[in-house]
Amino acid sequence: MVRVTNLRKHFNGHKVLAGINFRVRKGEAVALIGPSGSGKTTLIRTINGFVIPDAGTIAVGGQEIKYRNPESLRQARKKIGMIYQLFNLVERTSVQVNVMAGALGRLDRGLSLLSSTLGFFTRQEREKARELLGFVGLEDKVRERVDRLSGGQKQRVAIARALMQEPELLLADEPIANLDPKASKKIMELLLRINQEKKITLITVLHHLDSVRDHFGRVIALKEGAICFDAATRTLNDHRVQDIYSIEEEFACVAAQAGSI
Amino acid sequence: MRCRASWQYLNGTGRLWWWSLFLVILGFSFRISQVDVKSLIGGLYQSWALGREMLPPDFSRWKQVLTLAAETVAMGFWGTILGILISVPLGFLAARNTAKNYLIYQLAKTLVTLLRSIPDVIYAFFFVTAFGLGPQAGVAALTLATVGLLGKFYAEAVESIDEKPVEALAAAGSRGLSVIRHAIVPQVLPLFMGYNLYLLDHNIRVALALGVVGAGGLGVELFTQMRGFHYQKAAAILVIILVIITAIDRVSAYLRNRIIKGGFLHPGNRLPDAALLAAIGVLTLISIYFMPVDFKEMAAGAPRIWEFLKGMFPPDFSRISVYLKLMLETVGMGISGTFLAMALAIPLGVLAARNVSHNPVIYNLAKEITNFLRAIPDLVFALIFVVAVGLGPFAGVLALGLNTAGFLGKFYAEAIENVDPKPVEAVEATGARFLQRIGHAIFPQVLPLFNSYNLYILDRNIRYSTIMGLVGAGGIGFELVMTSRMFEYRQMAAMLLVILTTILLVDWLSAYLRKRVV
Ligand SMILES: Nc1ncnc2c1ncn2[C@@H]1O[C@H](COP(=O)(O)OP(=O)(O)OP(=O)(O)O)[C@@H](O)[C@H]1O
Ligand SMILES: [Mg+2]
Repeated sequence: MVRVTNLRKHFNGHKVLAGINFRVRKGEAVALIGPSGSGKTTLIRTINGFVIPDAGTIAVGGQEIKYRNPESLRQARKKIGMIYQLFNLVERTSVQVNVMAGALGRLDRGLSLLSSTLGFFTRQEREKARELLGFVGLEDKVRERVDRLSGGQKQRVAIARALMQEPELLLADEPIANLDPKASKKIMELLLRINQEKKITLITVLHHLDSVRDHFGRVIALKEGAICFDAATRTLNDHRVQDIYSIEEEFACVAAQAGSI
Repeated sequence: MRCRASWQYLNGTGRLWWWSLFLVILGFSFRISQVDVKSLIGGLYQSWALGREMLPPDFSRWKQVLTLAAETVAMGFWGTILGILISVPLGFLAARNTAKNYLIYQLAKTLVTLLRSIPDVIYAFFFVTAFGLGPQAGVAALTLATVGLLGKFYAEAVESIDEKPVEALAAAGSRGLSVIRHAIVPQVLPLFMGYNLYLLDHNIRVALALGVVGAGGLGVELFTQMRGFHYQKAAAILVIILVIITAIDRVSAYLRNRIIKGGFLHPGNRLPDAALLAAIGVLTLISIYFMPVDFKEMAAGAPRIWEFLKGMFPPDFSRISVYLKLMLETVGMGISGTFLAMALAIPLGVLAARNVSHNPVIYNLAKEITNFLRAIPDLVFALIFVVAVGLGPFAGVLALGLNTAGFLGKFYAEAIENVDPKPVEAVEATGARFLQRIGHAIFPQVLPLFNSYNLYILDRNIRYSTIMGLVGAGGIGFELVMTSRMFEYRQMAAMLLVILTTILLVDWLSAYLRKRVV
């Protein structure tokens, strides 16, 4: 489903991604961990085309992402849903209008382009938005303004917006970093349910190792822009966690990576 | 709860309803101001044709033009100085905390409000009628307009001071003027100076246009050349006007920057003060050398104004139905002009916003067009369009629309540049197209700001639509000129009253709408 090959990126001389290679199969759920500044967000943003890599390729669903071709990039983004730490909703509008944004990529031609730009949608699309809001547990908030919702509710709206795209791949960058433990648990359960029931591939950046252990079968760890662990979650013991988050013992990291391939 | 009027809350039917209401108002105001698709396309073609006749600009009269330009700057300067002299006492009288007598306070406040609500060009017209053609009418008009603005700014500055030093001085036995001098003036002086500079900038721009109604300066020359079919000579004057306005823009942006950085007018900071003093010094020298008016003569003319005012009484309302009909056309022009401005400003504003307009060529082009539209005063546009598309309200709509499209475009672009980028990226990440991103992620964020700008421009355009007729661009202004030519001053007075009433009504209405919608 996702194939990342030799991915490199640097920002003003500072190496952020130093040759990343991995594959994610269709329907898989992967947790991406690593210390702050290790390049997790950068990696996620290269997958949906907001960061252009210096070298290497990414293919999603067999299609290579062409960063220089806006139309092809847009087609690629249509099938990738994205969940953010700060939800990134349009605060002043209603829940429903925010969810409808997920349909825009589909309504990209002729009359439907015009009407969707002006905020008119077909009954079918509106029904679908309502149905998805039911799925994430917000059926009674359809007309509520987003700025009146709690953090957990906002993240549900964002998830419904992503689902509205009918994505093949769902990316989430620290989706629960701004939520309380209870809401965090519910959001993680919701994401995993989507992964299992709808067979949508899921890649999530997480800082809570407990959540990682509870929910994910596979973990990829980044350290200083390189993958230093990529294996089943059960093999992630305390010693390896120390390796990932410690700064000195680089050789241990290399060893762990060699072991996992 | 103000959210009941919120657009985002509306479902499809609700939006349809609002769009229909919008279209009805649009259709109605286009009808009464004689705008339709055919005339718009025709107007475009005719303006293009006129534009070609204006090229290349003919600078053969550059000596006269430059002298007139200096005279125009001097008009702006002296109008500001006289305005400041009157505004200082008036500002203190119109401030709640320094006015001793409630009646005087209310009178001063009302006077300032009235002076502010009447467009500067109406004053110019009035003084041209009373004094005769020439720069003294312009200076007098600028003085009154300045008092309307500065009187309010000063009063607000005085009302916002810290009361503690005032109380301390009062407790020590000081009173009246002495308290003002020692406790209030030091506090408000920097603010006052800032406002004075702003007015100076504003007045020089306005002075460029006033001549179009005969009140002296470069505008007179522009009017003469346009009416004499010397379009290339007129184009040269337009170029000079643009250069002057751009120069003022640059200088005042530089000075404003200094003020924001705190270097301006602060003791111990010599350099910016030197720059400021130099700028003002040059301006003063120009203004003295090209002295546009003889103040003795102006003072001697004051009794004539009194005579003139007496001649206007009692106002003659016998043709009131004609005035009302014309006033309706005038308001229609203001509304149509605002719609035109909005229609032009939306693409201009989007393309001139750095965060959405990534192509540098398009971005700079949009920005320069906005600056250009803003720099040409609407009365000058009106003069040009009257020649291009003929007498009548359509020329006025084009003039108001183009000039305020420049303002709105700038406001819109700034609003868009300040949106929260996070939701915009999220909507882009769904694979939405450019227009959809504007509609879904940017428009909802800027809508309240846009509404308040639109309302401000609508208010302003209805006010200024009354002056379009002074150059033949439709509305009640034309009738005003006609009656004044026939010395029917009592009818003129009635018309001025109709205009004033309408303006006050619109002011009140827009204040009300602002509270409800924005
Ligand atoms: N647009 C950019 N310009 C310059 N440097 C950047 C940019 N984006 C990221 N970086 C740098 O790249 C490095 C990796 O950043 P990134 O956001 O990918 O880390 P992260 O693993 O997501 O960290 P965190 O856990 O704190 O979110 C950091 O040093 C950051 O400063
Ligand atoms: Mg990050």
